[in-house]
Amino acid sequence: MIKKHWWKALAVLIVLYSIIAGMLIPLKPGILQVHPYNLEAGTSPTLIVNTYNTKFEQGDNIRAWISIDSNYAIPARETRMLNNRQLSIDFDLPTFLPFVEKSKSLALVLDEKEHGAFVRPRAINITQNTIDTTRAQSVWTYPPIKDIHRYDKMSFPMRGIIYETIKNTFYHVPLWFGMVLILLGAMIYSIKYLQKADPFADLRVLSYTRIGVLFGILGCVTGSIWAKNTWGTWWTFEEIKLNVSAIALLIYLAYFVLRSSFEDEEKRARISAVYSIFAFVAMVPLLFVIPRMTEASLHPGNGGNPGFGGDDLDNSMRMVFYPAIIGWTLLGVWMANLVYRADVLSYKMMEKELS
Amino acid sequence: MGTLKETLFLIQKEMLLEWRQKYAISGIFLYVLSTVFIVYMSSQGLQESNLFRNAWNALFWIVILFASVNAITKSFVQENGYRQLYYYTLVNPIAVILSKIVYNTLILLGMSALSYFAFSLFIGNPVRDQQQFFVAILLGSMGFSITLTFISAIASKASNSATLMAILGFPILIPIILTLLRLSSNAIGLMRDTSIDTDISILIAIDLILMGMALILFPYLWRD
Repeated sequence: MIKKHWWKALAVLIVLYSIIAGMLIPLKPGILQVHPYNLEAGTSPTLIVNTYNTKFEQGDNIRAWISIDSNYAIPARETRMLNNRQLSIDFDLPTFLPFVEKSKSLALVLDEKEHGAFVRPRAINITQNTIDTTRAQSVWTYPPIKDIHRYDKMSFPMRGIIYETIKNTFYHVPLWFGMVLILLGAMIYSIKYLQKADPFADLRVLSYTRIGVLFGILGCVTGSIWAKNTWGTWWTFEEIKLNVSAIALLIYLAYFVLRSSFEDEEKRARISAVYSIFAFVAMVPLLFVIPRMTEASLHPGNGGNPGFGGDDLDNSMRMVFYPAIIGWTLLGVWMANLVYRADVLSYKMMEKELS
Repeated sequence: MGTLKETLFLIQKEMLLEWRQKYAISGIFLYVLSTVFIVYMSSQGLQESNLFRNAWNALFWIVILFASVNAITKSFVQENGYRQLYYYTLVNPIAVILSKIVYNTLILLGMSALSYFAFSLFIGNPVRDQQQFFVAILLGSMGFSITLTFISAIASKASNSATLMAILGFPILIPIILTLLRLSSNAIGLMRDTSIDTDISILIAIDLILMGMALILFPYLWRD
């Protein structure tokens, strides 16, 4: 019993793990909003900073900088905590700044012992009226940013625009991986059918294709929800990946139409197996080559966007993401098995009726 | 008799058959001409518009796509089961599909050349890089021919073959069409594509993969 079914338990455990870990592990602290955005050199502004996932307390030693580059940073004169997610920070901006642009967007860096250091790129914009970098560099007295803390608790990266939806990586992406793997399974059973002409192999192809298409539809739905929350639209035809995945689904929906147009079982099984193999091979360039050669894409890793990985897929993400792929694929195989067994039962009942 | 010799012989047979019943090929050419004429009638004033080159590119490939489907649908349907059975007793099935693919490529090349000519005559010719455009036409004809010939072999087994041709064929053709559109918009000057060699090699790779699959899978299709 256990020897035969261990992988089903594994599938459930991994999927549960990915859902629980994905939902419970928090994002790293981050900066949501900085007000005001436009500052002038030589003034002493007070910034109101709204933070995310922070638990500031009275007496925390919160340090803040406006970062210019790795050598130059303007430290805050005073940092006050308004509540556990809001700070008020006073800066004294020098009259001369060490860059040549008239105005420049700069990052705000916060650091606290419990929360670690966190950054918002392009948080503020400083305008300087007199540009004199040599003088700025010679009179510069501030030390560069150092002695910053690390946030050691288990957490996911905090990214602008994406925010909490980064966790959809554990549901949306594994569904597509699962779809391709399960359709690959359908192709392998198609080859098996062509070798042995076994009607049960044909039923396997059918069940795998059904679950593959189901995963594809779920991938579309999860992606659509994600798109609504980050790109602001449920679906866009500007985006090549959405188009090619819709076409991939069309290829496999045509498989069902093809099946339904045959009366003879043997003929249906043979010809749909041939189509299934051809369709999988035709789908590979569609899903994996075409999106990579298109200039404009909003998905990571396509159209000149930074690859999927690096900072966005850090080790804490990987610990959930990779198991999730295995878990969803195994779950899909299990579902396909159930569909297959139901098909076999009705096939046998039909045979009994006929005899 | 080797497969190659059989293929050549079968191509000869296709041509002879076409020559004897000229209505098929002349039908396709008339189809192209009348479609282009409809495009011409319905796009008055397009030449002066900014969208001319965009629309030209899109319309050209749509005309080619539909004419190809029309031309190739018949390749397996027109011959009845008994005659096909007769071929299969005589020759290698690979020779059958190979000869049809080569023959259909030739037909599509002729058809594309005709529509290119008709488009230039009626609507105008925005193509700047002729050589690149002809590479697109050549690779496109090959890709369309391989895919649609194989799909027509599948569809001919079913009763509703005309519908199946479109349902099965169009989604599979999309990667080829998308790459072709990039190639031809570069040739027309709609966009500057720096990776044109990659596009051409992708197109060749897709053609070769589909060709390989068609040759491997066809022997399983014909047995009835």
